[in-house]
Amino acid sequence: MRKVEKEVADRYFKARVKLIVFLLAIGFSVSFGVVFFAQPIYESGLYMMDMPAHYYMAAQGAVATFIVLLFIKAFVNDWIDKKFGVNESRNEQISGGGHEH
Amino acid sequence: MDQQTLVSLSLILVTFAIYIGISFYHRAKATSDFYVASRGIPPMWNGMAIGGDWMSAASFIGMAGTVMLMGYDGLAYIMGWTGGYLLLTFLLAPQLRKYGRFTVPEFIGDRFDNNFARLIAALATIIISFTYLIGQLSGSGVVIGRLLSIPSWVGVLIGVFIIAIYATLGGMKGVTWTQVAQYLILITAYIIPIVFISLQVSGNPLPWLTYGSVVDELGAIDREIGLTEYFAPFDEGSRAQFIALLFTLMVGTAALPHVIVRFYTVSTMKAARWSGAWALLFIGILYLSAPAYAAFSRFTIMNDVVGEPLDELPGWTEPWVNTGLLEVAASGQQGVLTWQDLVIDPDIVVMATPEIANLGTFVIGLIAAGAMAAALSTAGGLLITVSSSFAHDIYYRLINPKASDRKRLKTGRIAIFTATIVAGLLALDPPGVITQIVAWAFAIAGGTFFPVLFLGVWWSRMNAKGAIAGMLGGLLTTLSYIFLAMNGFILFGIEDTGAGLFGVTVNFILVVLVSKLTEEPPQHLKEEAINLRYPEQMTYKDGEVWIDDSSEK
Repeated sequence: MRKVEKEVADRYFKARVKLIVFLLAIGFSVSFGVVFFAQPIYESGLYMMDMPAHYYMAAQGAVATFIVLLFIKAFVNDWIDKKFGVNESRNEQISGGGHEH
Repeated sequence: MDQQTLVSLSLILVTFAIYIGISFYHRAKATSDFYVASRGIPPMWNGMAIGGDWMSAASFIGMAGTVMLMGYDGLAYIMGWTGGYLLLTFLLAPQLRKYGRFTVPEFIGDRFDNNFARLIAALATIIISFTYLIGQLSGSGVVIGRLLSIPSWVGVLIGVFIIAIYATLGGMKGVTWTQVAQYLILITAYIIPIVFISLQVSGNPLPWLTYGSVVDELGAIDREIGLTEYFAPFDEGSRAQFIALLFTLMVGTAALPHVIVRFYTVSTMKAARWSGAWALLFIGILYLSAPAYAAFSRFTIMNDVVGEPLDELPGWTEPWVNTGLLEVAASGQQGVLTWQDLVIDPDIVVMATPEIANLGTFVIGLIAAGAMAAALSTAGGLLITVSSSFAHDIYYRLINPKASDRKRLKTGRIAIFTATIVAGLLALDPPGVITQIVAWAFAIAGGTFFPVLFLGVWWSRMNAKGAIAGMLGGLLTTLSYIFLAMNGFILFGIEDTGAGLFGVTVNFILVVLVSKLTEEPPQHLKEEAINLRYPEQMTYKDGEVWIDDSSEK
């Protein structure tokens, strides 16, 4: 066991929270954001992939974005862990079978 | 029995044999096998199992039909059921995994060190899973009813019988690996018809690229026959309803106990994040296909069925009319069938489209097997959840803490069996279409659990009283709104399926207010919550963070 400086531990936590907030904001805009403006987009006659843009975003655009965001999160979080010296194989040993009640 | 019935039935029986084989091979020997598969499932496979578990009869049978009939407004289901994985994987899953328990009620009971909270959570879990289960059972009823040309309620009874046998066997370990197989079967079954229709319509086998122009053309057809354009937004409801439904589905996805428990089956927080990403990739394949399915189906009906003479109805209509899920109302417009004459139950679209497009007996049989896979895999996961809430949270943690491993397994199996029969009886007379029943389950899950889990994981100041007030308030608000909205009381144009918006709001407010107004939680509970900010290797204790980087235990 080694003590981690409070400032370092806070920095680790903040980096993860910032990442989450940033990615959620993107996810929120492609879904709720586009739905909110669906009527004007529909009336503007904008097309994506041969279909009206608001329809495309709800049927494909948003879902594809969600998938990409999840993988970005998993990658970047691994990178943050690495930067702060977290060792996944040690994590596995520690979590083991979890608590057995 | 005609050739089609034979082909479909044999395909279903073959897939059943595979599932039973797998669950027998991996049958549970200990409690941790039974509930969390001994926590050793690799992320990609766990992601695939989540996909199988997740994609229910509502996704497989109901969703494309809902989009086809509702147009743009149906897409709330597509975004809601995928977007929830962002909330789940970003905000809850890794932390819940680090906390390391068997079930959601157990997290709530231990995190706030309160048995009353545990009991409420266990009861809510049972209510949610039951509601969801009714949707699955009426889904398998639709499939069996069509196959054997019997009323769908007889189909429900047969479905219940099959699911009861199947789920009592396996436990989580068996269920996880059968779900992987079920995912592969259902996704193949879903993709093949739209690839063929895409080839028929445009000569290109990639439906995801070709259905855009079909959507556009559907708009033109609708204009011609005097309907609102297929893709016009908020035609069936209001923007408020769309947003409330989207919110309900997303938040509900993140709070469904049977989905959360899947994240307990992996080894670490990192594995939980990757599981979530893989899961949405596998799930996304079906959800990106559903709007294509819907567009092709509507296009085929508009082109090949509408405008045909009424006395020469195509052969596929008769068996569906017999199940009571399709009505052809002859309005007598010069003896020709119009779009308005067809009263189509959304639940039949996925099954009927391959018949309408003449895709041959094998593809139609495959769809039936895929639909059964979807209903069974979700029912399996739900039954495990009901059983663990009862046998683990209520029986073992509250009633008889000295129960032996064997006794707990036995209680779990009895609970599964009873739950199936009760849900089956309720599903005989389903109170709504599959997609709608399932939307209620999401509203209840989100309204009861999301704020409590979210704040429980992120806010160390939250206490037991806040959790109890939040869960009860959220649950009651959601249930009453569903009930009131079904009877015509509508606020801001939001219907019963959007009830989660109110439940979640009330829950959040109650948790924060009650926690703030009552005493602080004990120090060790606060520390347990702060500890969840860091990976397994780091521990938070007495205001300090410790990292364990020794290589030996």
